[in-house]
Amino acid sequence: MAPDSPSAVARAAGKPTLTLKSSEFRKGREEGWRELETLVAHVERRGVRTLSLHELQRLPILYRAALSSLSVARTIALDRNLLLYLENLALRAYLVVYGPRIGVGEGLRTFFRHDLPAAVRSARWHIVIATLALLVGVAAGFLLTLQDEAWFSSFVPTGLAGGRGPASTRADLLDKVIFAPPPSALEAFGIFANFLFSHNTLVGLMTFGLGLAAGVPTIMLNVYQGLTLGAFMALHYNRDLTLDFLGWVSIHGTTELGALVLLAAGGLVIADKILFPGRYGRIENLALHGRQAAQIAAGAVLMLFVAAILEGGFRQLVASTPARFAIGLGVGALWIAYFSLCGRRRPT
Amino acid sequence: MTLVHERTSQFFEGVRRRRREIVTPEGVSLPVELADYGERLSAFFLDFGLQLVAIIVIVLSIIFVAVKADQSGLTGGIALALVLFIYFLIRNMYFIFFEIAWRGATPGKRALGLRVIDRQGGPLLPMAVIARNLTREVEMFLPLGILLTGGRGITGAVDWGQLSLAIWMLFFAVLPAINRDRMRGGDLIAGTIVIALPKRALSGDLVEATARFFFSEQHLRAYGAFELQVLEELLRRPDSPESSRVLDEVCDKICRRIGWTAPVPPQDVALFLRDFYTAERAYLEREQLFGKGRADKFARPGETDVAPKSG
Repeated sequence: MAPDSPSAVARAAGKPTLTLKSSEFRKGREEGWRELETLVAHVERRGVRTLSLHELQRLPILYRAALSSLSVARTIALDRNLLLYLENLALRAYLVVYGPRIGVGEGLRTFFRHDLPAAVRSARWHIVIATLALLVGVAAGFLLTLQDEAWFSSFVPTGLAGGRGPASTRADLLDKVIFAPPPSALEAFGIFANFLFSHNTLVGLMTFGLGLAAGVPTIMLNVYQGLTLGAFMALHYNRDLTLDFLGWVSIHGTTELGALVLLAAGGLVIADKILFPGRYGRIENLALHGRQAAQIAAGAVLMLFVAAILEGGFRQLVASTPARFAIGLGVGALWIAYFSLCGRRRPT
Repeated sequence: MTLVHERTSQFFEGVRRRRREIVTPEGVSLPVELADYGERLSAFFLDFGLQLVAIIVIVLSIIFVAVKADQSGLTGGIALALVLFIYFLIRNMYFIFFEIAWRGATPGKRALGLRVIDRQGGPLLPMAVIARNLTREVEMFLPLGILLTGGRGITGAVDWGQLSLAIWMLFFAVLPAINRDRMRGGDLIAGTIVIALPKRALSGDLVEATARFFFSEQHLRAYGAFELQVLEELLRRPDSPESSRVLDEVCDKICRRIGWTAPVPPQDVALFLRDFYTAERAYLEREQLFGKGRADKFARPGETDVAPKSG
């Protein structure tokens, strides 16, 4: 102990005093804690990048010193304020020191190059189920509406029908919808695409989120989407417009339906992990695979963005059925190639 | 494990915060306190309000600029497109942006001292932030909309679709209440928890270097760590008539319990208590080092970890 510490002075004055190990311990280290506290507060406010090189070097050293102080304090000190302070400081410093180290740019690159296609590939069975649900819906919607067009109004909500229905004639559908003149570029890209994206994203995220309710609503929603599409198909089939309609749908539909299937598959991954937790607990298992599901969903939302641009901007601009098929199937093939081929090697 | 200082917090605050433990790679366990439902809800409404204000301000300024620029339909169209896009961006990216940029906090969370962390204590990755916010739209904004319209459609009739959504809303609302870690749907998917992490300050040491009152071991044996920390908490309270009255009472009780017969002058009560605190802490800390620490006055020497007794 230093000869000029207060207790030594007091002893010299002839008064009996108490020397507390915990007090001496605190005096020796308080400076380091205060320094760490300043650094951590700085990072919490302004981010780790604003630290100087010297401060960056000090941070882990001070953090380990604070952890060791905490361990010692727990055994030798009964000072409540000190213990609470050290626990709080150590946790805050821990979150800074062991925070994420990947920059946004690098994170995005790994996401597109590896994580997204890998996540989609590992959910292939969920994708198959989601696709089957959609197809069942399409078939049912088609067959039912084919027999009796009154079904159309119960499968297609009024907002989506846009005036189309059993009363529409062939010429109506052809001129007013399928080969309607393109709107102005601003209206097409700015407003219509915007609206489509917001709406589709909401519906898609609903399908995804409902995976938490064991996936049954996810499948139901997918079947319902299929019913709508099937009803439309039957309406056009009855008016001998099948090919034109399919071309009109496929230019954005390959991307949009692909995205909706992926969102449903993401929801089904969640449902799967809740229903069949395997060797882990349900919550652990969900946390392990939930991010994979979220990656699929995030990728699908980007696909919806592409789909909205295709639908809002380009669909009416490309006024020929073969060209529409070519674009739609081409884009669809690109998606399939991307998801099945990209990122097979783990990035280093 | 019931740590003594946690028990003291419970004694003063009346409620026991739920805690989880994170073990750092260095092998030190750090307790984290889960955020309350009330805190999380207030943080959400704060953020929601901020979003609304931001949207209103931006929309108004765009309209203002558009009207000023010219009256033709073209500017109006651009303005509308911009408004739609910015609205979408703020509504969907607000939480994601802040939780990535501010390390698990949004303005609302920061105001209430809350943080999002990885449940296992690992780094909070951007993907986890995106995952926990992907379901926010359906978990919060949709139910909020239904609540505001009261489950009625545009025509005013009860909309069955809306009502079934409301049932779903109930499912999501009770989710945080039916799991140990108060995770909502998005937290479950992302493997995150929301913790309360207010900054704590280090106050001065209460230990008196020179003592006026001296206590024998006989005196000091009366209490354990819990009583010591309650005394510490009382001594740290700011001066007020109320606190000095409490200190007088405590002083009386201590004197009776330890058998202190000499009178304590009223002006020296605080000094007496600080001296007693110093002596008691020195004694208890030494005993603890010898493996004879006591959790409270009911514990035998060596019992440092006992459940709180009633009464």
